Amino acid sequence: MKVRERVATARARAFEDEESAIGRGLTLLAAAVAAALVAPLGWLLVDVFALGSRAFSLTVAPQTLQVLVRSVALVGAVTAGSVLVGVPLAVLTVQGDLPLKRFWTVVAALPLAIPSYLGAFAAVSAFGPRGALADVLSPLGIQQIPTIYGFVGAALVLTLYTYPYVFLTTRASLLSLDASLVEAARTLNASRWAAFRRVTLPQILPGITAGALLVALYTLSDFGTPNIMRVEVFTQFIYARYNAFMREYAALLSLELFAVTAVVLALESRIGADDSGAYGSSGNRGAFDLDLGLWRYPAALLPALVGLVAILLPIAIFGMWFLRSGPGYATGSMAFSWSYGLNSVWVALLAAGASVLVAVPIGLRSATSDSWAASLADRAPYVGYAAPGIVLAIALVSFSLDVLPWFYKTLPLLVFAYVVRFMPQAIGSIRTSRLQVDTGLVEAARTLGRSRASTFRSVTLPLVLPGIATGAALVFLTTMKELPATLILRPLRFDTLVTYIWRVQEAGLYGAAAVPALALVVVSGLSMAVILAQEQRTD
Amino acid sequence: MTDTNDTSDRIGSSSSRRRFLALGGATAATALAGCNSLFGGGDGDGSDGGGGGDGGSGTSQGAPAEIPSLSAFRGSGTLVEDRPAPDGTSIQDLPNLSGSMNLYIGGGEGGIYFQFVEMLQEIYPDFQVFASSASSSSLAQTVVQEVEAGSPQADVFWSIDASSLGYVADNEAYEPLPEDVVEPVPSGFRGADNAWVGVAGRARSIPYNTNELSESDIPNKVAEFPNTDVLAGTMGWAPTYGAFKSFVTAMRLLRGPEATREWLVSMREAGTERYPNEFVVSNQVADGALNAGFANHYYALRVKNQRPNAPIDLAFTEGDAGALVNVAGALRIQGTEKDDLVNNFIRHLLSAEAQEFFTTVSFAYPMIPGVAPPGGLPTTDQLNPPDIDLAELSDLEPTLELMREANVLG
Repeated sequence: MKVRERVATARARAFEDEESAIGRGLTLLAAAVAAALVAPLGWLLVDVFALGSRAFSLTVAPQTLQVLVRSVALVGAVTAGSVLVGVPLAVLTVQGDLPLKRFWTVVAALPLAIPSYLGAFAAVSAFGPRGALADVLSPLGIQQIPTIYGFVGAALVLTLYTYPYVFLTTRASLLSLDASLVEAARTLNASRWAAFRRVTLPQILPGITAGALLVALYTLSDFGTPNIMRVEVFTQFIYARYNAFMREYAALLSLELFAVTAVVLALESRIGADDSGAYGSSGNRGAFDLDLGLWRYPAALLPALVGLVAILLPIAIFGMWFLRSGPGYATGSMAFSWSYGLNSVWVALLAAGASVLVAVPIGLRSATSDSWAASLADRAPYVGYAAPGIVLAIALVSFSLDVLPWFYKTLPLLVFAYVVRFMPQAIGSIRTSRLQVDTGLVEAARTLGRSRASTFRSVTLPLVLPGIATGAALVFLTTMKELPATLILRPLRFDTLVTYIWRVQEAGLYGAAAVPALALVVVSGLSMAVILAQEQRTD
Repeated sequence: MTDTNDTSDRIGSSSSRRRFLALGGATAATALAGCNSLFGGGDGDGSDGGGGGDGGSGTSQGAPAEIPSLSAFRGSGTLVEDRPAPDGTSIQDLPNLSGSMNLYIGGGEGGIYFQFVEMLQEIYPDFQVFASSASSSSLAQTVVQEVEAGSPQADVFWSIDASSLGYVADNEAYEPLPEDVVEPVPSGFRGADNAWVGVAGRARSIPYNTNELSESDIPNKVAEFPNTDVLAGTMGWAPTYGAFKSFVTAMRLLRGPEATREWLVSMREAGTERYPNEFVVSNQVADGALNAGFANHYYALRVKNQRPNAPIDLAFTEGDAGALVNVAGALRIQGTEKDDLVNNFIRHLLSAEAQEFFTTVSFAYPMIPGVAPPGGLPTTDQLNPPDIDLAELSDLEPTLELMREANVLG
């Protein structure tokens, strides 16, 4: 009797938690943080007002709509492509008996460490007209290779460098999957495919959608890749207008971009709303093995191929730049300093730390509360993630000059920009890990008389720690790669690896970009190790 | 020596409208001797300021600074050998620089120009520059926003394109420069009201492959390019590049939007290839992948300096947008409290040494008459650039519109 009473009280407490002052406080905190992050983007409206009645005619101009359609199509293609590459790779590396499984896991995740614009540059150097591949093929009599430029090329390159988002989130879901369910289905005579479709797939769907959301928003906000691949999308359109002294028009276009983001977010919450699949019992997690037989060797070709194109190719191209930049380049030194590397790591660490502080209340709250305020706080920051760096920079320059002049061009402003832009990646992983915490454990702790704070510290926190670490590593990784906002918002005389790469590339000194580019990939690669190590812990 | 002569012959083939300065070895030797006397010391750096002590305005003159020899201000390679000594105000005759200063410097060529600022900081131990680099147009808008908000961050804006200087001038975010600072530069390369002054010139040009074309194949008006068979489908351009947009803007100002759009359409339909930047265009020309291209002049010189035997040469059109000479220039930002330092800094940028540096390291056109153009190219006077107010190049909106309409996306 006594036990049952205790359980009942705990249940009541847990229920009351939704309404309690602390719960509401946490919701408020999450909402306030989300509002503070998104508000500066509202400063774009000030610029748009300056357009007056022209704003409307520009919004519905055929050229604007044409770019809009193309951008949406690219987002669709890249997202679909990433799911098609990322999910099979995740299934193979988690459940398949591949030779050198751990190695292929690292290979499949690594493209995320390479900035997609460097990847695009490498792809063009290799597969473009008169590129390395054309040089190899022309003696064989093949004169014409299909062009890498254009929509298809851009979609392929973006898929190659963004699918790891889907790969990682899908892996996480698979690793926490209750394998006994699949075994049960097989026992009940379901074919392997039917078991996958009816049992595994619904369980990992939230993971796939979370990754697909990141891919879709990344694609929407990326500038470098479409620009190199010569596809006119929203960001490229905005960038050209901004650089032609049409800041107001650029701001208007940015607001349209946010509208597209809102639609993407709404779509995602439709598909991913069913969080029930994310709860796992503590049973036989992820241990289910897919016996591939002899097929396991050809199956290893999939990650091998992806790794070859996405990782080895850019490294080979960087190396070529490095070797080619012999003497005779009388363009002087423009010396590289390792302090740029330290600066990169330093701001990325600050951004990761700040993002975790901000994302923890939002992520935890949205995982445990159904209130509209909590879910809005969870969703709204994604607008920042979809904001192209240049847009964020325009908004923050106006905002800080008008409102907080002492904040302008300081390190805190730069870190704030990173948090706005990349923190949502941490919300996702923290939220997912909180969803996977067995509520029974929390209830048990409370039943055994632990206070709410103590329960959080000794039960919830250790269980969500891998999610926090993954989130921090993702923010670190993407901050290291960020260019447009860094360029405009950084303090005077503050250079990072990417701003240095930008400077030397703009000056045509491709050879000088090789060392910092490799350093960037290596440091980013180390943070991938953090992400994968978290998986091993949940394994 | 023969190799050098070959080079100058190829870069500087002779024709009435493209007269190049092909200097013989003897002239150059004399010239170098002259420069030694001007700068009071050769490579041994014995120059502790022959004329420096009494030179300059003397306002902030401390101990005379150690000015390195001329060779320190010169790049290396075949294009740099055999140059005459620069004529103009020497750094030695300028007041010492001291104190700190914030500089916004445009990306691209700006990265190379900045090395001169680093040299200045070595020459003057008390002089410090805090610099920030982004694209020139982005910095221009930042400058205007900051000045409007009453909190300018930088003292000097050094843009690589006149359009960005024009934008800042139109928005009145500058302070006019004193006449005696800008005086060495011809008036065509200064802003109205002395809002800014050109520091280095960038000429539009037609790099062409000398195995495929001779210079007589290239018409002297860009308007005739679409009807020229040897150029149809064999040229390259980089429409996203700012200098290309300035070129199109110039054409629009000179010939009107209709004719410009038609020109773009016929070039595109003829099969002109798109490239990400003009350095790539120039390299493709040197490789023989393209017969010719549209590019700023210094890219071909860079290719040439890197690969002296590359079959690439430059042609210039006459009196039209194809002959536009744009400039990188400096502007004093409104609200700076360092007027003297900024003025003296800009004086340094226009000194003989600085101009020699920009000309031999980044192959820019010098802005003062006493310094010879790079690689034996004709002087800007000989080039016959169109009659255009460079500041008007900032009116980019109609340019982007007509590029769109022509389906040549900028």
